[in-house]
Amino acid sequence: MVMKDEREIAIVRRQLGRLGITVSEHDPDDPPPPKDAADVVVFDADAIPIKSDLAAMWKTGAPIIALIGTETPSRLKWLLELQPASFLVKPLRSAGLYTALVVAFDCAQRRAEEANYVDRLEVRVRSRRVVFAAVLQVMNGHNLSEPDAFALIRQTAMRHRTTIERLSADIIALGGMPNRTTRSA
Amino acid sequence: MMAGEMRKSALMAIDEINVSAEFDFVFEPHLRDPGGVVAAYHTACADLIREEQVDHIVGCYTSASRKQVIPIVERTERLLWHPARYEGFESSDNVIYVGAAPNQHVVPLVRHMLDHISHDVFCIGSNYVWTWETNRVIREIVTSAGGRILAERLLELGEPAVDHIVKEVMDRRPPVVINTLVGESSYAFMRALHQATSRAGLTIPMLSCSLCEPELKLIGSAASVGCITSSAYFESIERPENVGFVARWKARHGADSNPSVDGLSTYVCVMLLARAIRRAGSADVAAVRRAAANHRYESPQGPVWVDPENNHCFLTPRLARSVPGCQFRIFWEANAPERPDPYLSSLDLSTIGRRRETSNDRVSTGSNHLRVVK
Repeated sequence: MVMKDEREIAIVRRQLGRLGITVSEHDPDDPPPPKDAADVVVFDADAIPIKSDLAAMWKTGAPIIALIGTETPSRLKWLLELQPASFLVKPLRSAGLYTALVVAFDCAQRRAEEANYVDRLEVRVRSRRVVFAAVLQVMNGHNLSEPDAFALIRQTAMRHRTTIERLSADIIALGGMPNRTTRSA
Repeated sequence: MMAGEMRKSALMAIDEINVSAEFDFVFEPHLRDPGGVVAAYHTACADLIREEQVDHIVGCYTSASRKQVIPIVERTERLLWHPARYEGFESSDNVIYVGAAPNQHVVPLVRHMLDHISHDVFCIGSNYVWTWETNRVIREIVTSAGGRILAERLLELGEPAVDHIVKEVMDRRPPVVINTLVGESSYAFMRALHQATSRAGLTIPMLSCSLCEPELKLIGSAASVGCITSSAYFESIERPENVGFVARWKARHGADSNPSVDGLSTYVCVMLLARAIRRAGSADVAAVRRAAANHRYESPQGPVWVDPENNHCFLTPRLARSVPGCQFRIFWEANAPERPDPYLSSLDLSTIGRRRETSNDRVSTGSNHLRVVK
């Protein structure tokens, strides 16, 4: 909990306790704790001045549930920079926090999955040049058309239980198709 | 200082209602002074409602204090009559907003600046929500008109050390400065900048949307002159209602005492409340809210009435220049009271202060109904 208002702290502490969540309180004026210190951060958006450097330091850690009091565009723009995973509007009640937690965890998981997916796509994009070079090599070495060369690489990769990208790297390293009995996976 | 001005004005209005034959009831004031301590507003308000059984609460100067009070008045179905101008983006059914919304004080000031002074502006303000949001509105209008924010400097609330900012202003010599500092920071800044510009033989226009007559006195007669100020009320308004109000004010508080926009607005809160109770025939909150809607009151600052769409008030924006003698000389006022627009949803940027070269090549994009967070 990164909050200042004692009444709101009491409400959040009590409700999180009911949900079996271990709570630690953190002064909004202090720099954030290490990244993995919490699974979720309940963050009072009104507790930190807009022009403060502290805000950016919270951005990359655990999913943030923002508590919103001031709905001015300047404050909301600042809040978007923190990429909150969920939010609650003050004054707080016992109801709502559970939904905010569920949405925050779901949002964080989707973000992690999407980041992971993008990473994999980036690896494939980066290895496009390698695959292209391998196709050329197989075309020349086996006197095949481009579709046939690619089909051979794809089938071989499936048989070897490896990816097209990794097999392509092997083809270039070996100067030709690897021995069929070796398994590079 | 403002809290004191507001209390004096509320008590003056209450006394006037209580001796007036026009009202067949009297107000019994219950005073609480949370002293600007934000958390204390919640307690004071809860105490007024539970212990004193009050239905209507007049007060709160800062947004932080208002945000403390709103949950209680909403939960207990009471009405808060809020006198201060503020940054907008709020509309509670349990608050009557009598101070200016941003379209009634910030927008006219920026429009004047773009039309008559400069498109490039240096912003200096106190580090809190009113400055942040006012500066955002200024930036949105100025950049849309092809101008530039040369700098945005913030001082902590109450910070009196202003020399580094005065030095920067003197080094950069901006064509205009918008001052959204409040309290001692503002007074110190205006004195120091006046001293520096006088010594250098320079004039740098300064704009404010919060300065009032009692503050001009605190700043001092020389340094307070020449500030272009936007407000719904100045002591110098020449309406019979205001001439009478100023005379009563001076009779009550002394010939050298001056009313202020926030004080007058508090007076208007009490008067609107009294008229709504008379019209409703009871102090019941729902009945009073219905009765206050669209009920026109000829106040010292001109006709004022509550817009039931958003519980803010129709007010007449005015621009004035501070002159010797700690007074304002009004040089512009709106033709009619302006509808409150707390979310600036009717702000049409294409109509404000476009530089000639940019206005030709861009087709009007029309009004943007939701203030999109950019």
